[in-house]
Amino acid sequence: MNIPESHLAQEAIAALVDGELTAGPAARAARHLTGCAQCRMAVQAQREAKEALHSSADVAVPGDLMSRLCAIPFTADVPGTGGDGSISAAPGGLTVTGTSGSWSVDLGTERPRRGSPGRRWLRRGMAGTLVGLGAGVTALAMTLPPDAAPEPAADPRPERHTEVTVPVWRAVTVGTSAVIPQGGTP
Amino acid sequence: MQSAPAADEADGWVAPTWEQVVRDHSARVYRLAYRLSGNAQDAEDLTQETFVRVFRSLADYSPGTFEGWLHRITTNLFLDMVRRRQRIRFDPLPEDTERLPGRAPSPEQVYTDTHLDPQVQAALDALAPEFRVAVVLCDIEGLTYEEIAATLGIKLGTVRSRIHRGRVQLRQALAHLAPRRPAVTGEVGA
Repeated sequence: MNIPESHLAQEAIAALVDGELTAGPAARAARHLTGCAQCRMAVQAQREAKEALHSSADVAVPGDLMSRLCAIPFTADVPGTGGDGSISAAPGGLTVTGTSGSWSVDLGTERPRRGSPGRRWLRRGMAGTLVGLGAGVTALAMTLPPDAAPEPAADPRPERHTEVTVPVWRAVTVGTSAVIPQGGTP
Repeated sequence: MQSAPAADEADGWVAPTWEQVVRDHSARVYRLAYRLSGNAQDAEDLTQETFVRVFRSLADYSPGTFEGWLHRITTNLFLDMVRRRQRIRFDPLPEDTERLPGRAPSPEQVYTDTHLDPQVQAALDALAPEFRVAVVLCDIEGLTYEEIAATLGIKLGTVRSRIHRGRVQLRQALAHLAPRRPAVTGEVGA
């Protein structure tokens, strides 16, 4: 009864399958589909591809990866990332305070591997961050526990980690995630 | 009787420990990394690097955006990796040749690792990285177009067309890999 509508735009077909069309366009698309086998096929093809992916089950994280992830506080260098962050340390852990909350990073739960990595990490990471703030480094070095960190209590809470307060942690911004230039699509 | 923990609860947010962060989010990050890279070695590297970035930027983190943040870091690291390898491919004498070839795992390995149909993973691997990212974020991670646009820093229209073209290619690759799979013909009896 009316002039045949043009075929659905490809973008509209994907959006229709994903339920991303607003009511008006969705209704128009449905009207068009009732009379257009070609577009119905295109919609069906999109659905099939989506379902093929959808059926994927969960992936188990390999155990050794899991322990490497948990060990990151001991193994990663921590350059300042800019922003108004501060970090305070105690034998059992760190508390990182940012503009929006504070985090406790528990250094006690991981069993030390070579020597006492927790303590080493503290020295290396902090010293690296604080070079130039001589007073702070001295204070930190003097306050570090002389021997292995004490066995952690069952549930170390952030407020426990306040014995040593390191001077404010401010550094040049290092991009936290790489900037991705929009490459042309092939 | 007002204690510090009570005050924390009043704020509605208690800082998790690092182990909790890892426990809660590593599976999702690893799955995403695996779907994108198509093999366990790269998936592990990407996951590790993602969490290192997370750890370094904890101070900038704001509650409530964690998932989006993880998606963004992981996908950006993946795209970086792909571009680095594309550049290396043009190097006359790459230094570490050992890791370049032999990236493709056996179908059995893929299935053991991911429980994703190896042919689906192979079809996914055949997609251009930009399309693969869009399709994986949409169909496996279940992100909305808007979330994908924010994650990748691209326009909504670009998200739509990448998803559409990615799925078309995915389906073609699947048909090619598994000819027995029913083709579209005859599905639309009219």
